[in-house]
Amino acid sequence: MLTQAAILSSELAVCLWIPLFPLRCEEQRRPELSGRPTALLSPSDTRRLWQISPTARRVGVRPGMTVSQAIGLCPTLTLCKPDPVHYDEQFTSVLLALNDVSPVIEPAELGRVFIGVDGLERLHGDPARQLRVIARVAGKGEGGRGKGTAAQLQRSSTRAKRNEHTFPPSPFPLPGGVELACGWTDAARLGWGRGKFLSWVAATRAKPGNAVIVSDEERREFLSGQPVAVLPISSDTHRRLWQLGLKTLADVARLPQVALVSQFGAEGRTAWQLATGSVTDPVTGKERPEPITASLDFPTPAADRAMLAHALNKLIERALGHPRRTGWRVHVVRARAALEHGTSWMTEVTLRDPSADRARIAAPLEVRLENTPPTGAVERLTVEFIAFARGTDELQLFARDASAAARAGRRSALYAAAHEIQTRLKRTMLSHIIEVQPWSRIPERRYALIDFEP
Amino acid sequence: MVTHTRAPLRADRLRALNVPRPVEVELDAHGFPFAIEEEGRGKRTVEEILEAWRIDDEWWREPITRQYVEVVLEGGRHVVLFEDLKAKQWFMQKP
Repeated sequence: MLTQAAILSSELAVCLWIPLFPLRCEEQRRPELSGRPTALLSPSDTRRLWQISPTARRVGVRPGMTVSQAIGLCPTLTLCKPDPVHYDEQFTSVLLALNDVSPVIEPAELGRVFIGVDGLERLHGDPARQLRVIARVAGKGEGGRGKGTAAQLQRSSTRAKRNEHTFPPSPFPLPGGVELACGWTDAARLGWGRGKFLSWVAATRAKPGNAVIVSDEERREFLSGQPVAVLPISSDTHRRLWQLGLKTLADVARLPQVALVSQFGAEGRTAWQLATGSVTDPVTGKERPEPITASLDFPTPAADRAMLAHALNKLIERALGHPRRTGWRVHVVRARAALEHGTSWMTEVTLRDPSADRARIAAPLEVRLENTPPTGAVERLTVEFIAFARGTDELQLFARDASAAARAGRRSALYAAAHEIQTRLKRTMLSHIIEVQPWSRIPERRYALIDFEP
Repeated sequence: MVTHTRAPLRADRLRALNVPRPVEVELDAHGFPFAIEEEGRGKRTVEEILEAWRIDDEWWREPITRQYVEVVLEGGRHVVLFEDLKAKQWFMQKP
């Protein structure tokens, strides 16, 4: 049985950012790619490019270009087939390693993670020391810790040892910057500050392999010089801010909040609050329940989509039947496939309404399978439930979760669900049967329905 | 059935359960049903008569006078049929 996910939070944050993470993974796997013009093909459309190495970018190759366009610009371009499962495993190993430093870990995207560092000064010392510990630990996480093969683990261990020698902790090379000893060598950037936004902006301003620390005293000054492009707002709002001549966060902070809200609504408020540093967005980590996984090995590699869809359904059904799933709904489901010739395919779906119903979980995965199918025949298909929501929050009173919850003796699940229905629909829409005249010889007099009010 | 929630019972919040539905009934020579025809569901024969009883009740307000017959229909379904002897109309409901 899963335990209820506890929410942990921390105001002081470190952002670890490894730009072009999938491409870095390929370079780690194939060192001969380092320094050469390299492009990673898109997982959804292998005729187009996804990530471009800086060398290729310098000669004009851009993400989204077709392969023929890119080869026309750069004949020596090396193309790599994407292996999303490998990238995910690598990133997961980094996250697992970071768990040794802090329990508050919030992954933002592949290659970018926030680490809550409240209270770590007593363990590791000042921010610079904390960053060194994080960089060292993240470097050791490289190579598929826990999930990788024995060969990968050995490689990882070798690399970690090598990194300890290659990148010893060094003094501060820049004002506010710290040079790091990190397994992702020259790629990782770290930012330290109060709140996720500040730490992210700090990380974007760090040189590769370095960190930027922004103390509370320096916060306003640091933010004022940053371009509006760092604000997490829509591209349309960015464009309009630019057209209004607002180029830095200082320009935004100078305006009254009401002016921005009247122009841009909620995004305007967010922009003003972040630009002035008047809000702190804490890192929130969750205790991650262990994923539930079901896999299927095909006797001969399968490419038929109908067969794959059928297999997906069967695997979902099998995973739903896992005892640990009882009383919980699936929030995030992932399908991954090992393909012929050593590549992989992966897709992940976050269900808007978490569910324990096979059809509802399978539907978005089948759409993904149809729109962005695996690029080769599938040797092994895996379904993984990686995030859960408590079964009590949903309306599926009479679906699997209600029965599962009831089996587990969780009557509170029923009451919580009835409350939810009442809140949404103004009436419970649920009734229970009461005895009126059970002895009556007139059948319709024996029982009646009455609203169920929890 | 769920446990009682201790919400106050009020007659106006009760909804009837097992409300009788009108049905066409064909009777045999002894006056017992041998076939029924419910609207939209076609004709079904009565395979067995289980019990019969009569009710005369509530003479002090709206008198109820019914002749009940519990039967098994073809296919094995148990139902209760009754004739409202005042209105001369047949109804069907669950036992």
